[in-house]
Amino acid sequence: MQPLANITPLKPAGAIEVRNVGQIFKTTSQDVVALQDVSLDVKPGRFVVLVGPSGCGKSTLLMMMAGLRQQTSGTITISGAPILEPDPNRVGVVFQEASLFPWLTAEENVEFPLALRRVSKDERRAKAQDALKLVGLEGFGKRHPHELSGGMKQRVSIARGLVQDPPVLLMDEPFAALDEQTRMTMGDELLRIWAATGKTVVFVTHSLTEAVYLADEVIVMSPRPGRIVDHLQVSLPRPRTYEMLSGDAFGRMRDRIWQHIRKSA
Amino acid sequence: MQGLGVKAARIAIVVALFAIWEILSRTGIVNPRLLPSASDTLSMLGDLLQRASVRKDLVVTATEVLTAFALAVPFGVLIGFLIAENRYFADVAKPLLFFAFSIPKSIFLPMFILVFGVGFAQKVGFGFFSTIFIVIMSTTTAVESVKVEHLTIARSYGATQMQTAFRVYLPSMLPVLLEALRISMIFNLTGVILAEMYASRDGIGHQIATWGENFQMKQLLAGVVMIAVIAITFNELVRWVETRCSHWRT
Ligand SMILES: Nc1ncnc2c1ncn2[C@@H]1O[C@H](COP(=O)(O)OP(=O)(O)OP(=O)(O)O)[C@@H](O)[C@H]1O
Ligand SMILES: [Mg+2]
Repeated sequence: MQPLANITPLKPAGAIEVRNVGQIFKTTSQDVVALQDVSLDVKPGRFVVLVGPSGCGKSTLLMMMAGLRQQTSGTITISGAPILEPDPNRVGVVFQEASLFPWLTAEENVEFPLALRRVSKDERRAKAQDALKLVGLEGFGKRHPHELSGGMKQRVSIARGLVQDPPVLLMDEPFAALDEQTRMTMGDELLRIWAATGKTVVFVTHSLTEAVYLADEVIVMSPRPGRIVDHLQVSLPRPRTYEMLSGDAFGRMRDRIWQHIRKSA
Repeated sequence: MQGLGVKAARIAIVVALFAIWEILSRTGIVNPRLLPSASDTLSMLGDLLQRASVRKDLVVTATEVLTAFALAVPFGVLIGFLIAENRYFADVAKPLLFFAFSIPKSIFLPMFILVFGVGFAQKVGFGFFSTIFIVIMSTTTAVESVKVEHLTIARSYGATQMQTAFRVYLPSMLPVLLEALRISMIFNLTGVILAEMYASRDGIGHQIATWGENFQMKQLLAGVVMIAVIAITFNELVRWVETRCSHWRT
């Protein structure tokens, strides 16, 4: 992990602190309170999953962590410094499938963040190759997105998120558009990549199985105005295996999350 | 990929049309004074292209077309951009544009003559007027085809406005813009030639109108073939570029 210049971290790289954060959207007809008084601590290197009913503000919270949107109240710090605007050195983002640029090849997509910073061509290529290799796509760099499967596209997105080696990776429903099998495989792949890089991951999903399977911690949010209603530690050992899905511990945790979500429906 | 058979069939149809044309005229089924034969027309076309006066007319028309195009495209793109990026502008202007677009532009031609007189300005002005609406509307569509996800990604990796413009907006819009360019040229060419035919002292449209009035069918048909070839060539050129970036849309 590259050292962070310019800031003196009070917390080690990759720590996320969310303090009393609120978000109010002012629309012409009314003010929408999307999030209210959300506080959250994520330790470096943890895999944290956000779940909650549709419209509860998961994406909004992620956008604020990425510096893509400013909160109405409260503070968010990453690696000890407030996030006031997007900072690719601290945060990488991965969204749903549609976010690759169709006019660029896989490797050009991965190089995109570096190209913005005018990194030399050679260095860009080298870093993109490393990132593609990490996600298991060595040799696919010259293909365009339309020549890749859904799972491969998301691997490219992950490679793009990791290419600048930020300590934090934010992922908003990255596997939502994938079929069940591909989704399981991608989950395992993501865990492998996470273990290999030691990133802090915040991951949003609607799948409770996926949540428990991937997470160190699951954070459950209430319907709008979004608040945190539960914070589970997933005590299952790693590496996670397919057999755990049918185990008691797994079922209990999934049920507990489901109870919260059902209540709110 | 089209098979060779399709291409061959296409060429065969064009050849057949010319052959029928030739036969109709040669056998006198259609009065050759009304329909000179294809071969006579083509040799007349060769003749015309040798004539200094015709070349001058072509240059005049080309200058008008290019001037009108060079004015209408950037201007239309700019307005289209403002409309697409500004909610209020869009609400106000969009329906009005659709109204304007639906009116046949030719009925305004007499007004252009009254305002600009007969000459370069009138023809360019009318060409511009015929083209601008389609450019504005296509640009609006092109801007709307830019995906929010792509803009968000650019922003999250710290793209400047310039970088976003050139690395996201432009490539996203290019396929739609190319198509717009192609269609705009059809409107533009139609506008300028119509203006020339209606009231003008020079230009190939004026020539064609004169040939028609004087019953010079050979020249008239040769002129038609000439303009058709020019229009098709431009159209195909842009279409060729279009197909090369068609997968950008996906
Ligand atoms: N730009 C905006 N203007 C107004 N309201 C907004 C805006 N963005 C989001 N909202 C509202 O804020 C709430 C939270 O939205 P958000 O997209 O964060 O939810 P989410 O939890 O990600 O939902 P989903 O699970 O469906 O993705 C929603 O009710 C949404 O309608
Ligand atoms: Mg969302």
